[in-house]
Amino acid sequence: MTNARKKLLVFAAAFTVFACADAWIFMTIRKAFIGIVDGMQAKQADLFVRAAPREASDISGWLESSKDAIEGEQFTFIAVDPDTGSYMPVDPDSSIAGFWAANASDPEFAKGLDSAYYFEPYTTAKTFKLEDIQTNVTFKPLLNADESDIIGILMITRASGAWKDFDRILLIFAVGVLALFSIIYLVVAFARDRISAFAIIVLAVIAFLFIAYPLFETFRLTVMSQGHFSLDVWKRVLGGDYLRAFGGSMLLGVLTATVSTLIGFLFAFTVNRTSMKGKKIVNALATLPVISPPFSLTLSVILLAGNNGLITRQLLGLTAFSIYGLDGLVIVQTIGMFPIAYMTMSGVLKAIDSTQEDAALDLSAGRFKTFTTITLPLAMPGILSAWLLVFTNSLADFANPLLLAGDFRVLSVEAYMEVTGRNDLGGGAALSVMLLLPTLTAFLAQRYWVSKKSFVTVTGKPSSRLTELASPGVRKVLTFLVVLILTLIVALYATIVAGCFVRNWGIDYSFTLENIFEALSRGKKAIFDTVTLAALATPVAGILSMIGALILVRKTFLGKRILEATLMTPFAIPGTLLGISYILAFNKAPLVLVGTAAIIVINYVIRELPVGLEGGVANLRQVDPSIEEAAQDLGADSATVFRTIVLPILRPSFISSMSYTFVRSMTAVSAIIFLISARWYHLTVQIYNFSENLRFGLASVLATALIGIVFAAFGVMNLLVRDDGTMEKNIVS
Amino acid sequence: MGNSVAVSLDHVAKIYPNMKGKKDVVAVADSTFTIEPGELVTLLGPSGCGKTTTLRMIAGFELPTSGAIRIGEADVTMLPPNKRNTATVFQSYGLFPHMNVGDNVAYGLKLRKVSPVEIARRVADALAMVGLSDLADRTPGRLSGGQQQRVALARSLIVEPEVLLLDEPLSNLDALLREQMRVEIKRIQKKLGNTTVYVTHDRVEAMSLSDKVIVMRNGEIMQMGKPSDIYENPRSKFVAGFVGKVAFFPADVESVDGMEAVCSVGGKKVKARLGGEKPGDSGVRSGSKASLMARPESLRLGEPGEGLVDGTVTTNIYLGSSVETWMSTPYGEMLAQIDDPANRAVWPEGSKVSISVKESLVRVLPEE
Repeated sequence: MTNARKKLLVFAAAFTVFACADAWIFMTIRKAFIGIVDGMQAKQADLFVRAAPREASDISGWLESSKDAIEGEQFTFIAVDPDTGSYMPVDPDSSIAGFWAANASDPEFAKGLDSAYYFEPYTTAKTFKLEDIQTNVTFKPLLNADESDIIGILMITRASGAWKDFDRILLIFAVGVLALFSIIYLVVAFARDRISAFAIIVLAVIAFLFIAYPLFETFRLTVMSQGHFSLDVWKRVLGGDYLRAFGGSMLLGVLTATVSTLIGFLFAFTVNRTSMKGKKIVNALATLPVISPPFSLTLSVILLAGNNGLITRQLLGLTAFSIYGLDGLVIVQTIGMFPIAYMTMSGVLKAIDSTQEDAALDLSAGRFKTFTTITLPLAMPGILSAWLLVFTNSLADFANPLLLAGDFRVLSVEAYMEVTGRNDLGGGAALSVMLLLPTLTAFLAQRYWVSKKSFVTVTGKPSSRLTELASPGVRKVLTFLVVLILTLIVALYATIVAGCFVRNWGIDYSFTLENIFEALSRGKKAIFDTVTLAALATPVAGILSMIGALILVRKTFLGKRILEATLMTPFAIPGTLLGISYILAFNKAPLVLVGTAAIIVINYVIRELPVGLEGGVANLRQVDPSIEEAAQDLGADSATVFRTIVLPILRPSFISSMSYTFVRSMTAVSAIIFLISARWYHLTVQIYNFSENLRFGLASVLATALIGIVFAAFGVMNLLVRDDGTMEKNIVS
Repeated sequence: MGNSVAVSLDHVAKIYPNMKGKKDVVAVADSTFTIEPGELVTLLGPSGCGKTTTLRMIAGFELPTSGAIRIGEADVTMLPPNKRNTATVFQSYGLFPHMNVGDNVAYGLKLRKVSPVEIARRVADALAMVGLSDLADRTPGRLSGGQQQRVALARSLIVEPEVLLLDEPLSNLDALLREQMRVEIKRIQKKLGNTTVYVTHDRVEAMSLSDKVIVMRNGEIMQMGKPSDIYENPRSKFVAGFVGKVAFFPADVESVDGMEAVCSVGGKKVKARLGGEKPGDSGVRSGSKASLMARPESLRLGEPGEGLVDGTVTTNIYLGSSVETWMSTPYGEMLAQIDDPANRAVWPEGSKVSISVKESLVRVLPEE
């Protein structure tokens, strides 16, 4: 104890010395810099005054002609009445007149005027309010031709706020340097495991800087107006017809979730409870939409059923039909999202011990009775879970409504329009916060309520045996439906590929390769940027999520739960909100990231971190802690344990976290559309731009290219993961 | 080396604060003991007694709440495990699943930047010592429990630790293998002369392996000493019961003289030694209530009415060299061991017997 106290005392001393040095350095910098700028301004003002006419009558004209000679400074001529010794501004505008009336009697003012009267320039020691802005005031004598007398006084007013930004940045740096010093000192002096302590601090800084802070900025913006607390933004958003967009999002979410859950259950049941053939192909095709890039399905639907669609116009000759709107959105979202429902419920059905169904059948319950009394109730939490997951995804979806919504309004697109179209960040922020409410509710409900209700106990030994729950006739119907939907999916993808080779879809269906050349030449920058940024984010997200998993599972420290919750937050946050948060938070010094590659990479990492983190945590929980302890005991420090033991053992989740990050970054759109710039572009946005301009051929080529890249990435991952399965057996304690 | 100390704990305590406003959990209350170089010391006690926590504090996985731990001359209290020259064999072995046996064993040497040639030689030696020379290329997943145990032992021994720590190393093995490994560990430990701390809840392991046994309960050291001292001269009923089979007779202490006490059991006078090594160890005073501790081998059976108490034989268990006779008595169930049953009377089940004690073998222990 005394040892610790001694260390604390030494730290306090070191801190004091360092803080003094820190303060001295930054004060010196500040003074020097202000001195330089003040000197320049004074010189400027001097030169200006020297050019002043020598006759009082010319002054007004001269001031009028050189109004904006010096940026940020206002000049007012003050006449002196030689008889009474009183001062009076000449032709002041209303703001200066008010300023004069309010402050002329101030002793500082009087002192300055008197001083100027006796040929001595004077700058007030304090600032005065000019239209709510703190203002410095300088009084300069204006002399007559032979410099024997003054003809008047020039009052120069300059907003003192110019220094505020500089002071703020300087203060951030000064405090930052001091904090850095303190943290490093304390960790080195007190932590037994310095590497872990630094890792925790780095994670905490990341969580604060790139998750908590941007979100906070966004919330703050929605309750601020011109520097004050105000609910104007919310009044406007909630009062206007934005509520319609909210209703639209909810309606779309409910419809898509319901239809997707039905189709998903059809698939899950047919695959897991009937003896249908070709289950592997069903599985592969049904999961295809999950990893396919945004816009691709929409694009395909527009090609087939849009205003100039192959089916609607060319084959059926419909003119009044429109795919744009709620119907089209439900179709596209369902095709894109039912796989989520399918995979969720498939997992649940697999986990239900089929001996329970066997028991029911054995008690002569009949197949349908068994299904309704055993299978369905047991799967109910899984079905609810699937519904909520699709609901969340549908609300957060941005790409499909952007192209396909037509007059139908949803929040994610409204928020985007608010920001880019109307240039109203506050409104966009409010709309995306509004979007957060239902998504967060659904997310939390799925996480902490539905999953707790689950009857399914995971025994770790899913029975590989199948209980046939469908009669041959029913099975045929189910199989037919499944094949029908899969055919639709295949047709949609085939349409995109076909779109690449068609000269002008809807008008001229002749074969051409021109699209490919044009799309690749115009899109190569986007392809290069997209792959580069995703490739940069991938290892960072992978390593960070494994480090995070190790720390969250194995270390105990203050605020661990908060850190975990913060790091997991992006999971539940719509990309639109995160994108808006980032432009809000990172467009001012010292963190000016808007327009850089960094902001995009950081955004990728932050958005995909929760998935990798969860995978790593689940994986590591299965690992006997004494494996790491053994390594440490044999002389490995934390970094070595991580490198030689944890990372190799967590390899499956490490690789899948990386491939997930890569694919999701390649196919990102909702957040990234706010963050791209001319310097760093994204393929999905390029696809969107081509589609918007009705260049469907070009869009098809890029979509196909993107699908190709994503599949290649998945192929590589599968090769990497499919390794020795023998290892996993003995990790479990 | 003679009078130096390999490991010492000085008033070491480990208290886990309970966050939810409940009482703190005292894992180790106040432990002070020393271990001589080359000694094998066993921490023995029921689960939750703090024995594993003590071991983990020596290894550095847990930080003591107070007190100091020294290994050799150095105070290691604050050092992390990787900076201590200790090596632990874990209850679940903690083998690296992604490395083969050879790489597992070589791990510690690689970290110590030993040359590859030297590593190869020492790994071969270590594997030979534990009899696994031909399994160097296997992964741990394809080894039996006993083989995994040997790999873990080899991996710890190869770094020549100042202290070898064994955390219930045999608890995951079946009975036969356990006995084999016990002999093996004893052999290797004697051969290499490692200072060793061995944690177990199995009294047979503790008795057969140790130079010194430390019996713990609820975070406190109840007694320490040679196995024979602990067995023959326990200080408390808990220790007496934990290290061997025992029967207790309630007794009134009439007088205490040094280590000798005279007490009355059911009105009959018995002269017996106090528990512990010196007067005052056990806290038995004249005029107090006490218990007379009797091991099975110190009980004598006779015709009803002759001994301290009468009982009925419930079961006889024939063990070859001896017979265990279980009896129900007013003082509870008692067990007598009758050696050389071929030449001695064995009382049949159901018969009434009286039970007396061999005064030189029984001890007077305080009531708890």
